[in-house]
Amino acid sequence: MGYPYSHPSEVSIISKHFGDPGARTLDGWMKNGGYDGLKKALSMSPGEVIEIVKNSGLRGRGGAGFPTGLKWSFMPKDSGKPHYLLCNADESEPGTFKDRELIRWTPHQLIEGCIIGAYAIGAEQVYIYCRGEFFEANQVLGKAVEDAYEAGILGENIFGSGSTIELTVHAGAGAYICGEETGLMNSLEGKRGEPRIKPPFPAAAGVFGLPTTINNVETLSAIPHIVREGSDWYRQWGTEKSPGTKLFCVSGHVERPGNYELPLGFPLRELIEDVCGGIKDKKNLKAVIPGGSSVPILSKEQVESCLLSYEGVQEAGSMLGCASVIVMDENTDIVHQVTRMASFYAHESCGQCTPCREGTAWVTNILKKMEAGQGKEEDLETLIELTDQMTGTTICVLSDSVAAPVQSSIEHFRGEYQKLLNNGGGHG
Amino acid sequence: MSSSKKNPGWAGNTGEYELTEADIRGEAFVGKRPLEGGHPSASATYPYMLATKDPEAPLFEGPYLERFEKILTRYPKKRAALLPTLSLAQEIRGYVSPETMDEVASLLELSSAYVRGVTTFYTMYNKQPVGKYLIQVCTNISCNLCGAEDVLKAFLKETGTALGEISLDGNFSVIEAECLAGCGFPTCVQINSKYFENVESQDVGELLRTLVAELSMDSVKEKGEE
Ligand SMILES: Cc1cc2nc3c(=O)[nH]c(=O)nc-3n(C[C@H](O)[C@H](O)[C@H](O)COP(=O)(O)O)c2cc1C
Ligand code: SF4
Ligand code: FES
Repeated sequence: MGYPYSHPSEVSIISKHFGDPGARTLDGWMKNGGYDGLKKALSMSPGEVIEIVKNSGLRGRGGAGFPTGLKWSFMPKDSGKPHYLLCNADESEPGTFKDRELIRWTPHQLIEGCIIGAYAIGAEQVYIYCRGEFFEANQVLGKAVEDAYEAGILGENIFGSGSTIELTVHAGAGAYICGEETGLMNSLEGKRGEPRIKPPFPAAAGVFGLPTTINNVETLSAIPHIVREGSDWYRQWGTEKSPGTKLFCVSGHVERPGNYELPLGFPLRELIEDVCGGIKDKKNLKAVIPGGSSVPILSKEQVESCLLSYEGVQEAGSMLGCASVIVMDENTDIVHQVTRMASFYAHESCGQCTPCREGTAWVTNILKKMEAGQGKEEDLETLIELTDQMTGTTICVLSDSVAAPVQSSIEHFRGEYQKLLNNGGGHG
Repeated sequence: MSSSKKNPGWAGNTGEYELTEADIRGEAFVGKRPLEGGHPSASATYPYMLATKDPEAPLFEGPYLERFEKILTRYPKKRAALLPTLSLAQEIRGYVSPETMDEVASLLELSSAYVRGVTTFYTMYNKQPVGKYLIQVCTNISCNLCGAEDVLKAFLKETGTALGEISLDGNFSVIEAECLAGCGFPTCVQINSKYFENVESQDVGELLRTLVAELSMDSVKEKGEE
């Protein structure tokens, strides 16, 4: 059920209990079939659990959309070493606000998903790396973990199965880059959250140098349902390449912003006009960012035919990312918003790679100058060239993320940049 | 924040559900934080930011020492306890001074320079003192589209401060924040450990008055307990 608004088009699986404090407690979660998925998983072999997740086609909800079952199958089988499962709850991609809701409304859903995941990959220790700013979510989650320990759902001999799984909630300390999986691992080890060069991949040498799998909160929250109901059940929604349901975080200029759980493949236009009640104050649409600030901006024309699946958004010219739909009305100052996004990346660059450290600052400076009316005709080409050089040349993709809003906005809204150049910065 | 659709902080009183904080967090949990840090395996610490802090306080004593020791049990390596330890130090002292970094370094058998390098990487560690209320206004894209820059201006005006400065009465510091993951409820403002959502510029005055009233109530309570 959507939060704070709901809509009949929704299919409520992971968001079923949003807005229902009754399901937050252990008792409440148990009454709603909670931990049945875990019991079922424990009665199977880890390989069988991975098989179900593989067949469900579930793809990672942290942005990259990598198939979850496949990722789990990369973990070594009899390595003799401790394994780790990390849950990425560092949610900080601008426009994204789903993981916080999942944690604060249904902490036990996440814990259940974590335990199943840990069982499947042979990990005895789970860390949930929860964004430091989420004091409330941290406390709700901490309380739920305590209750789970007390009920024998965590710790030694879970449900009498002989399996031991420990879970620790680890609060971050404010840095977007710690959402990147290897940055998160460094941060968890008590280091600066700087991403690592891959390979080695986490399944070979992750946190503390040991085999590690990392999954997003929403990915793990879907696991109990998939294990309990089966992969065919999950595949009744969505498309062949993007099965299941997904939380769509809609923000910006719509009447009813919020989270909505919809089958993947849902039309973007319908999401905005029907589910979210249309553009605020009956204005016209200008542009939409469909997947968080790191993906290309879609023009009004591209929005018309865009279907919200991984492949659908790609066809339309952008990426689904974390399905964070940012809606902009006709009065939006595109250059100003792109400048704000660029300054975000400049602030969050960890500084290890020269193209990223220097490039994010340069791009921001050029855009700010243009906004202030001191732009030069050649600046647009410089921006495109700069962002080209920042793509595919660095340790992580934060650097590439700057190219998305800059290049797509120049492509679709060149006129707005041109106006600034012609008028010497005619606004604000 | 007058309309019933709006959320004045925490997950409570949100939207159509009219929930209270008690509904959200469970009766036994409201307004309390387990000072001892909860179950040894459960949570690194329950981080918490207080409006009243004491920069001179001893670092880890009593329940805080217990919490520090629990943190150490949760990681295979001592260094991994660094972030939660710094958070705990900041909870006590309000900011992480170079002296605090040194103390933490020796507790965790790390060099001071290393701890400094890590501390400065993360935005949540205050490298200098802040007001009793640290107000962080998100001006990133979703909030920005809905007027966040006006909200930021209103906070600066009403507190009479410049960005990052402490107000004369010592009560407020206002800073700009990156996305707080409350984008559907613009503008999202974090004040110490609480989120305030759907804040509009005209709400700011009243919000600040509530905070000041809370401060004086706290000091009355403290006097009563003595
Ligand atoms: C700069 C950057 C920031 C990221 N931030 C997050 C984040 O906040 N939360 C998240 O789950 N994934 C984030 N990711 C993606 C993770 O690296 C990783 O792909 C994901 O957590 C894997 O989980 P999944 O397979 O379940 O999606 C980020 C990636 C990059 C490059
Ligand atoms: S691309 Fe940027 S954020 Fe990523 S590792 Fe390099 S400098 Fe750091
Ligand atoms: S953009 Fe303000 S909370 Fe995300």
